[in-house]
Amino acid sequence: MGKQMGSEPLGWFYSGKKAKKRREWRGFKDTWYDYTRWLYIWKTLICFMIKPNNLRGFFRYRWMLNYLAVPDFFDRHTEGMRGTQLRIAHTGLELIVVDVCEMLRKIFRADPRIGNDRKLNSKIVLFDENMMSTLMAGFPNLIWLSAEVPSVYSSSMMNQEGVTHYIEKTTEYGVPGDVCPMPAAELGVALAEDFPLIGKCAVQCNTTCDGSLMGNGIEAESFKIPTFQLAVPIRHTQESVQEYGADELRDCIAFIEEQTGEKFDWDNFFRCMERFNQETEQMLEWFEISKTDYPQVIGVSLALYRYGVYQAAGGRNPEFLNRDRKITELAMKAYQNKELTIPQPRHRCITWGVQAAYYTAFPIWLQNCWGIVPITDMLSLVSTQMVNTEDQNQAMLDLAYLYENMIMRNRSNGGYEMGVEALWRYCEMFRVDMVIMYAHMGCKAMNGYHGLFEEEARKRGIHFIWVNHNLMKPDDASRKDMRTEVNRYMRTVLREEPLDPSLEDFEDGKAF
Amino acid sequence: MKDLKHLYYLEKLLQEANNELVREASAEGRIAIGGVCAQIPEPLLNLPGCFQVRLRAPRTGSVEMGTYYMSSLLCECCRAILERALEGGYQFLDCIVAPDACAQMNRCVENIEHLKLCEKDKFFVTYADVPMKSTGTALKHYVKQMQVHVLEPLREHYDIDVSDAAIRKAVALQNEVSRLIMEIGEYRKEANPRITGYEFAVLCLSTYCCPQDKLLEILRETAEELKSREPDRKPAFRVRVVLAGSEIDDPELIRLMEEAGALVVADRYCLGSFPNRGEILLTDEEDALTQVCRTYIQWGQCPRFMNTEKLVERQTYIERLVKEYQADGIILQQLKFCDYWGYERAHMTHVMREDYGIPVLSVDRPYVAGNSGQLRTRVQAFVESIEIKKLAAGDRKHG
Repeated sequence: MGKQMGSEPLGWFYSGKKAKKRREWRGFKDTWYDYTRWLYIWKTLICFMIKPNNLRGFFRYRWMLNYLAVPDFFDRHTEGMRGTQLRIAHTGLELIVVDVCEMLRKIFRADPRIGNDRKLNSKIVLFDENMMSTLMAGFPNLIWLSAEVPSVYSSSMMNQEGVTHYIEKTTEYGVPGDVCPMPAAELGVALAEDFPLIGKCAVQCNTTCDGSLMGNGIEAESFKIPTFQLAVPIRHTQESVQEYGADELRDCIAFIEEQTGEKFDWDNFFRCMERFNQETEQMLEWFEISKTDYPQVIGVSLALYRYGVYQAAGGRNPEFLNRDRKITELAMKAYQNKELTIPQPRHRCITWGVQAAYYTAFPIWLQNCWGIVPITDMLSLVSTQMVNTEDQNQAMLDLAYLYENMIMRNRSNGGYEMGVEALWRYCEMFRVDMVIMYAHMGCKAMNGYHGLFEEEARKRGIHFIWVNHNLMKPDDASRKDMRTEVNRYMRTVLREEPLDPSLEDFEDGKAF
Repeated sequence: MKDLKHLYYLEKLLQEANNELVREASAEGRIAIGGVCAQIPEPLLNLPGCFQVRLRAPRTGSVEMGTYYMSSLLCECCRAILERALEGGYQFLDCIVAPDACAQMNRCVENIEHLKLCEKDKFFVTYADVPMKSTGTALKHYVKQMQVHVLEPLREHYDIDVSDAAIRKAVALQNEVSRLIMEIGEYRKEANPRITGYEFAVLCLSTYCCPQDKLLEILRETAEELKSREPDRKPAFRVRVVLAGSEIDDPELIRLMEEAGALVVADRYCLGSFPNRGEILLTDEEDALTQVCRTYIQWGQCPRFMNTEKLVERQTYIERLVKEYQADGIILQQLKFCDYWGYERAHMTHVMREDYGIPVLSVDRPYVAGNSGQLRTRVQAFVESIEIKKLAAGDRKHG
């Protein structure tokens, strides 16, 4: 136990129960930093909870219980980290927590069951979970909210069993158990009447998959507010579809204008898009560093944070750009100092496919246990394109491009080029020798490429490790099962020994 | 009832994707287009000089190779089609025109393409983005996609005439086929229908899997034959049902249901007669392509149409069929692992039972289900439950 990375066996902390045996000792300086940030998280949560609306929301909605695990979430996602890595993780993820708290505060204030602030409610436009909020940059007087993000998406990340109750609700309703658990959980929340009934109107999108859009249709009935279905093209790489994407967005804007009486504010939109472009530039900087032998913004710190920046903030919140810059500064300094993210990097990998929401800390385990550095992931490899900030027509086309390329959707839709071929290009670009392929059981779009992935990886001499999971249903493939698949490959194919043997086999089935 | 004259011949045709009529048309130099979804308007695939063959995998046994390429969690129909392609069963195709309508079928076609399973020199695959809504914006997009990803490639690769006149000619042919099919299907409204659901399914399915012009004479003769066909005095069925849900490309499934006592009087599934055997009405005021696309958008009953109006329309559509064909209930079926129908079936089952008060049997099934004992038992139980309800209603009525 000490200041150095890998100085203590991390598997020993797992007690087989919810909580770990003790907190990690990272040397005085890093432990102090981590502890103060940990206290900051508690402070954020306590400040949130002492507000009467939020407290009432906590007791009204079952999914709120999952947020008790936020401090544990941070511990999981900073496991084994030291120095710059620790700071990058906190810098990014803390803002996500603050942002979600703010979203919840507004939700409970507007919720007729709780705060019943009608004025606020009349300003809210409810968006689909996987849908970018970018469009709302043109409506500065309106409030973008997603009821599904706090109830389902972040819930399942905080607590691995966080949404299984809702998935069961959907199964009881008659939806087969083979569909993707995410839309199933969302529908379950609707069926259990656990969605706050907020918003003047709603916008849904043909997001990630066929199941997702089908769940939306039924959910829309439970919102009881006018709902617009934004159907952006599926074959989004084709030139011939772009105009339609833009037309759909124009229809969507007209719908919001009609429902709320607000006008689309191009000036504000362009301002936000300038910020959005700057955020994209920051990300490109990180990718440049990741191509070298000293990658810095990688794994979870990249994936979860970028989800917030790209999808949820979408250039509307200036604080994200501030954090981006801070992260870039930290990363550049570490790169110049030739800092490693783990003591012995053995392999560089890309994680492809959809990550398990119940095991977002899996890439950290890959690093700590086997020395596999998760350089980047499929969800982070979204648009690198800049949005035009002068020409309205071009901006609308660019915006359509963003909506077509939303996280997950950009790979699960679009065909072979986006799902398979792009992977090999990224492998080359980031100089990786390994792909951790998340085989998400409910993701039919990616599973349909199974054989092609194997054959192409073999041709290219890339180590291709399949890791089965079921996104939000840990009962179908536990965290331990996921680790076992990597362990087997590393031992039997590569004949390697783990960096930290205590992490090879441990019990965390009951952990948050 | 006396056997229909052409039934055996059509049954035999349906045993092969590359059947006798397909081979005949190919030998005439016509282009065989593999179709995988109703989202590509059929007249565009049946233009003069080409014809559609809806991809099926009749007599499927194992789908192991298909499962290797697409995993065991994907729709068996898609896996079976890929398996058939791996076996070389679609070598006769000149191209595949696929919409990106359902991810699973799309993956199936992409596998066929990337594994190079069709080896004709000029073979190509084209993918069209088809809309998920029935709005004016969607129609504009639909027309463009059909132009760019269906008509243009056909013209470019095979010099097919894709003019307005050619489209109108293809529509006329399809309308003729559809009129005959609907005329034949009308008999299912009779109290004791002179045609079974199975027989009708064989006739209807053939129109998707063979060059339509080559079926015209058979359909005409069958329509004529039916005019004087006498049904059995004692009906062979116990209840009448509307069969709805995902694609059915095997009439054996319907035979199974009818053997269990449920006569299929209306067919609202992909490859059935509703809605795709309706008539396409063209005017001279507008180009044929736009009118065809508009018709298909309006017809569209696939759950992938995601706007709320369409969702509700799908329910009222089936309710209308129940009334029109005096059905006692609905069998809602889906191919296992179909995301669209997985949700739609669950939701529609609730709506039809609770809001419309119609008995529903809700089942998922494997691709090859014609011999499924489990399914037979479920249909039998459904038939009995309807009979019990009828008896109970009769008792109440009589006091």
